[in-house]
Amino acid sequence: MASLEPPAAVTPPSSKPNLLPLPSPTIITPSAAALAAVAPTTSSSSPATLSVATPLPTPSDAELVHIPSYSRWFSLDGISECEIRCLPEFFDSRSPSRNPRAYKYIRDSIIKQFRRNPSSKITFTEVRKTLAADVISIRRVFDFLDAWGLINYSPAALSKPLKWEEKDSKTSQHAADSPAGPSSDSTPPVRETTKWLCGSCKSVCSIACFASDKCDLTLCARCFVRGNYRVGLSSSDFRRVEISDEMKTDWTEKETMQLLEAVMHYGDDWKKVAQHVGGRSEKDCITHFIKLPMGEKLAGSAEFGSGINKLNQMKDDNSSNSSSSGKRLCLSPLADASNPIMAQAAFLSALAGTAVAEAAAQAAVTAVSKVGHGEANAHFRSLHGVQGLQNASITSNGSNKLKSSEEARSGVNTMPEEKVNVEEELRTVAMVQMKHIQEKIIHFEEIDSQIDKEWKQMEQMRDILFYDQLNLLKHERSIRKTGQQAAEGTRAG
Amino acid sequence: MKPLPSTSSKTPVKFRMPTSENLVPIRLDIEVGGQRFKDAFTWNISDPDSEVSVFAKRTQKDLKLPLAFATQIAQSIQTQQTEFRSYKGQEMLTGEKIVPIKLDLRVNRTLIKDQFLWDLNNFDSDPEEFSKTFCNDLGIEDPEVGPAVAFAIREQLYEIAIQSVATARESRNAKKGRRGEYSSISSRSTGAALDLMKLFSNRYSGVRKRKEWDVFEPMVDMLSNEEVAALESMVEKWRDLEEA
Repeated sequence: MASLEPPAAVTPPSSKPNLLPLPSPTIITPSAAALAAVAPTTSSSSPATLSVATPLPTPSDAELVHIPSYSRWFSLDGISECEIRCLPEFFDSRSPSRNPRAYKYIRDSIIKQFRRNPSSKITFTEVRKTLAADVISIRRVFDFLDAWGLINYSPAALSKPLKWEEKDSKTSQHAADSPAGPSSDSTPPVRETTKWLCGSCKSVCSIACFASDKCDLTLCARCFVRGNYRVGLSSSDFRRVEISDEMKTDWTEKETMQLLEAVMHYGDDWKKVAQHVGGRSEKDCITHFIKLPMGEKLAGSAEFGSGINKLNQMKDDNSSNSSSSGKRLCLSPLADASNPIMAQAAFLSALAGTAVAEAAAQAAVTAVSKVGHGEANAHFRSLHGVQGLQNASITSNGSNKLKSSEEARSGVNTMPEEKVNVEEELRTVAMVQMKHIQEKIIHFEEIDSQIDKEWKQMEQMRDILFYDQLNLLKHERSIRKTGQQAAEGTRAG
Repeated sequence: MKPLPSTSSKTPVKFRMPTSENLVPIRLDIEVGGQRFKDAFTWNISDPDSEVSVFAKRTQKDLKLPLAFATQIAQSIQTQQTEFRSYKGQEMLTGEKIVPIKLDLRVNRTLIKDQFLWDLNNFDSDPEEFSKTFCNDLGIEDPEVGPAVAFAIREQLYEIAIQSVATARESRNAKKGRRGEYSSISSRSTGAALDLMKLFSNRYSGVRKRKEWDVFEPMVDMLSNEEVAALESMVEKWRDLEEA
């Protein structure tokens, strides 16, 4: 009775198997492969007793099976800790049909089925048709085995990096062709490997530095804060350049390749990726990955999580990734998710075009600085009036100028403040117009009431006149009457 | 060994599949744009619903079906799931329920005909185990037969369970005073089980009569390619006739 030989180097399962660079397969002993040739009867007969009476095959009959080195712990004899950890639902006796024996049955049948034809990939559907178990359990075991390279680990699988390389060349071509300014501009600064030296204190810039395009000056963060630049410059002329650890230790091609391999393999598990790349912390890996120009493509293919919102713009799942290779979104460099206003401003400027955006920004800046200067002048005048001393005024002028320039500087801080100011101006203009109209209305109302009054007066006068006329008539009649009476009296007497 | 309940116990029990695990038989028969996809498998009802779409997509990708299939598959699974769940809260009659299960199926080239008795009361029963042993004992090499057998058993058990829910409802109504017609219906469905008990109770041994051996013997037949083709074309014709 021959017992199964354990496959080569069954290492005791450690907490995390060390990840060596991928293509270094180990070879399983032929006896395990021979099981594939035997009919499925052996699998179900007494799984509890693990000695199976198989004749040792001659080396010529046997086939070699390749599995990756990090799956060395696997053996058809039993269940290792790694499996218990990855598929706990089979081992926690929560559901009666998911027990270790069922798991072993599913796993062994899948592996045997695959090994019958190791050069071709086996699909989940093929497997589940042949297993008498519920399809979800089968799927979980299948995914587990697939992830660990115990099935479908064939040269077809290893060619994945090549496909990625094709994608890489395609996207770099596309980047060169694309006319959009911001995206192509964003790549060179990231890839630059120049060391930044401060212009004033001559020290190597480490974390961040400020570069001025106006007069080609580079200052380290400390000098910038202190204000160690020439008089002609203001703080607005400086652009902040981030130098992370990445710049200090540039990412070599090899490291980048390793990173991408690892991301494709592990997806979201940055710890494993960092381990695979070797020498880079998780944060480094993530930041470098983001900065890669085709990062968003692989993000789609590696089922990237929610951490990177802007890369989700074109994502679907794995299947559609290959079909969407033509599309590629251009990121604008200012689309920093942390500052939503900046992101909006960047978006608008991208829409409007760089020239227009520049002109608008300039106009806004000058307008605000004028406002700042105006305020400073008023301040200066008032100070002058109060103090009335030439020296004091000069000094205050100087301090005012400084203050005004500082005000202008602070006022001209960012574009969104300009926008806010412009909006306020518009608002005041609208208010003034409204007040104007209101006053007109009031005026007309007054005139209206005046006219009413005069009309009433006119009526009154008319009444009086009528009354007078009436009186006059009465009087006349009475006089005529008395006259007649008198005439009659004299005639009678 | 569970002690057998008395023959007259009609204590209702919450609806569930009379097997060790609440696995539901799902049958798919989807036709999209001239392509027909038929499938049958068991589904664990306690798995989260997100699995449905994942499974549908996987199947569609593996079999290289057009995209429309994925949604249809998911829909079909979900309908059958909800149907099962709609029975969930209701009660079903247990009691002495030994039912005959018939197998009559063709998987690829294997033809199987069998009949056996199944205890509905035994909630530990496992059709998968049965099918595994079945295939082993009969030396069936085609690995797709096992799941098909298990599925057929499950489907029949499911049907019977649904029926027993209906009878439970009816018996409840009957208890409310509506005797007469209803009592005959309920007795009819449990008639099969009762007859069997009568059958056994009359005998001194539990061994079957010789003439019944043929009925209860499994028959496995391997068809040749031409016969398979002939059968399939016949089925197609019948289906077209039905649809027309």
